[in-house]
Amino acid sequence: MTTIDLNMVGAKGALVEAAEGKWGMVIDQDLCTGCQACVTACAMENNIAFVGEEDAGYGRSMHWIRIERFWEGHYPHVKMTHYQPMLCQQCGKAPCEPVCPAFATVHSQSEQVNVQVYNRCVGTRYCGNNCPYQVRSFNWFDYNDERINKAIATLKHQFNPDVTVRRRGIMEKCSFCIQRIHKAQDKAKSEGREVADGEFTTACAQACPADAIVFGRVDNPESLVSQLMAEGHGVQHLSELGTLPRVTYLVGGQ
Amino acid sequence: MSDKKHHNPEEHFREQHLMLDPMPRGQMNDMVMESMHTTSWKFWVVAAILAVISFIGLGVDWYRLIMEGQGLAGVMRPDYWGIFLVNTVFWIGISHAGTFISAILRVFKAEFRRPFTRAAELMTTFGLVQAGFSIFMHMGRVWLSYWLMPYPNQRQLWPNFHSPLSWDLLAITTYLLSSTMYLFLPLIPDMAMARDRSTGWRKTFYKVLALGFRGTEGEWAHLRTAMNIFAFAIIPVMFSVHTIVSWDFAMATRPGWSSTIFGPYFVIGALHSGMGAVVMVLAVVRGTMKHMKYFIRPEHFEGIARLMLIISMAWAYFFFNDYIVQWYGGDKWTKTLLHWHEAGPMGWMWFAMLIFNIAIPWSILWNKKWRSTPWLLFIVGLLINVGMWFERYIIVPISVTINRMPFTWRLYQPGIEVPMGIGTVAFFILLYMLASRLVPLIPVWEVQEGQMAHSLTKFGRETVMTVSELE
Amino acid sequence: MTIEKSLLAVFSDLEPAADAIEQLRHLGVHDDCMNVISGVPVTEAMLGRPNQWTNVPRLAMGGAILGFIAGLFLAFSSPTSYEIQVGGQGFAPVPVAIVVVFELTMLGMLLSTFLGVFLDSYFPNYRPMHYVPEVSDGKIAVLIECPQADEQKITDALKKLGAESVQMAEAQHL
Repeated sequence: MTTIDLNMVGAKGALVEAAEGKWGMVIDQDLCTGCQACVTACAMENNIAFVGEEDAGYGRSMHWIRIERFWEGHYPHVKMTHYQPMLCQQCGKAPCEPVCPAFATVHSQSEQVNVQVYNRCVGTRYCGNNCPYQVRSFNWFDYNDERINKAIATLKHQFNPDVTVRRRGIMEKCSFCIQRIHKAQDKAKSEGREVADGEFTTACAQACPADAIVFGRVDNPESLVSQLMAEGHGVQHLSELGTLPRVTYLVGGQ
Repeated sequence: MSDKKHHNPEEHFREQHLMLDPMPRGQMNDMVMESMHTTSWKFWVVAAILAVISFIGLGVDWYRLIMEGQGLAGVMRPDYWGIFLVNTVFWIGISHAGTFISAILRVFKAEFRRPFTRAAELMTTFGLVQAGFSIFMHMGRVWLSYWLMPYPNQRQLWPNFHSPLSWDLLAITTYLLSSTMYLFLPLIPDMAMARDRSTGWRKTFYKVLALGFRGTEGEWAHLRTAMNIFAFAIIPVMFSVHTIVSWDFAMATRPGWSSTIFGPYFVIGALHSGMGAVVMVLAVVRGTMKHMKYFIRPEHFEGIARLMLIISMAWAYFFFNDYIVQWYGGDKWTKTLLHWHEAGPMGWMWFAMLIFNIAIPWSILWNKKWRSTPWLLFIVGLLINVGMWFERYIIVPISVTINRMPFTWRLYQPGIEVPMGIGTVAFFILLYMLASRLVPLIPVWEVQEGQMAHSLTKFGRETVMTVSELE
Repeated sequence: MTIEKSLLAVFSDLEPAADAIEQLRHLGVHDDCMNVISGVPVTEAMLGRPNQWTNVPRLAMGGAILGFIAGLFLAFSSPTSYEIQVGGQGFAPVPVAIVVVFELTMLGMLLSTFLGVFLDSYFPNYRPMHYVPEVSDGKIAVLIECPQADEQKITDALKKLGAESVQMAEAQHL
């Protein structure tokens, strides 16, 4: 009997949709104070370049997570809404992935996250364009080269050795601190056990003073992330696009 | 025919139509050769200026862009794509004119095409060169662009054929190669003609390019068959190229871009700017090169202008088709985008696009006398090209400002891409000028073939032009 | 054994050239021993000559088939050497394959059409050949290969039919 390999005829999409993912994040907007600690911690952890005042003002800041602020209504009846931390949603069906001609951004089947392969990127910036969340940042200059960016001369000593320093012309984005995921997995494996919930977390979650960011396994119903997601008032941004985001936002809870 | 009654209809016809005004072949050859040889000092002054502009744009500025980074251009989040891609689409659009004229008009046996097919085909090849430059300028790490070539370049990894950019690479390569071959095939007999009447380094140049062509029955038969295959086969290639360019946008998860009509809309837009560019080139060639007034006549401008009018109407049809579907859908992001186009800070560009692409062609090209006037058509062609460049500017950097994350919305400010874009324009004109010294711009044998086939016939008291099929 | 001679007759127009070809046939010169050199494409029918055989369409078809196979390989085989999942799509979806296969088929077809002209016409060819430059001025030259004995007879006949010149063809560098 012949079998038809569904992988070869494009039916795989339906199978992926059924997959629930592995790592996930819950961000409680009710708790977020907009203090930017996550932004800072992320920049330290992931060697994110400092682009300077002028470039940051022109939309070239390279932070992998940003705190979005919105106002409602017209002056003088202006009301501030919740702060909205925005980072890569690690989509299960990421629009950024298929459009890269060089396979520089791909779906990791083992970790179920969206990974960026820096040394494969040729800089067409199609992925940045096609990301509905606009969370990809591009290295417009060699911000981490001290010959170009004088400010980095003293800062380079605090680079995280676990993370690549990126050069000009490539795209980067939140990796869910994949270096921490791997470290925890390696440690657990050497001790012959599974990674426990809460054993490690991402830099942004670790730094959040209000504990608004929670990271963990979404495929484990016992984990804190799964329990918060089950509370019922979680939303996923632009879920109508079918991107299967792995970040859930809690807003309007008790 | 004309309302002005000529006392001698035959004389009137000869004045009007190149095909009815035959000259001995030897004389036409001499005229074409002389037009290549006659070069005034003004030519070299213009060429030198263009060379300097190209060198600054494509040499100095590009070097800086590669060494320092894409930040020299105006791109940022959310405008990851800027003028480089506007120029890519623009130049690919220009390149469509050559194929349209020499393939579609050949297939449909439109006789007025004969003297200017080569002038249009040269535009195709040189326009594609500029499009290639523009897309490589856009890349963040252009020194690694060979990774996009279809071969297993790293650890058995091939390029990603899911990406419209990979399709683009295949389509543009196919189009560049096939349009260059299609330029070269009908050029072989003219190269042989030039070989027979030149000396010195030109003799060697033409001898090499003529490949030893004599004009035997066999050579003509192979050439004619091949040109026939090309004329039919290159048309779907041409459509596929600009359709795939449109898919770079239409495949994206973005408001305003995700449109099924983008394919034909882009193809028509390409023809719109391409025909405008052809008319500009022909006006300049006719005005500046020796003997060209014999070959390129008002009837040719009139024929092209009629096509321009039809294409302008088709463009308006597709534009409205795209617009009304987007508008009716009522999606909040699309509505915001349409409002941003019309009433945003670049709204002037949106209205200028409609005026240049629709209002001006429609109000001028309906009149036969006006559309036979080369200088007027030059202006219309120029405005159409400005309008079509605006259209691409609106589709790329203005539209990407509006996305589904309002926190990132920001207006694009061009940087180094402006002098680099001007560099591509200068380089295009420079290549064309140099080619006009080296390549017989008029396909003499095609003109002679046409003149053999055309004749005057009397039906009752009316004299009309008839064409016989020589194939 | 007879010695073959090449004659090159130049005519100013189609009509006398066509007449001359007919006359040559009566004089016993076979169609295979004649060739017409012209500056414009003159069809075989105009001169009353047998149709020329050309391989170009067959080569074009062959190229198209090769391109089609190359397209199938790129679309369906190349992704299997390193399987990467993107955007929830299959490894080798058919809609993507259609685009790739179309472009490569057309590329193969057009490239082989172009090369077909080169193969069929023996281009590029810079060896000495029988030629008169007047051809590109619109004259029509008839190249005849005949036994030496018939040379005078044929020359006279051609002259009578309005040939501008009839000369012994000598291969020369173009």
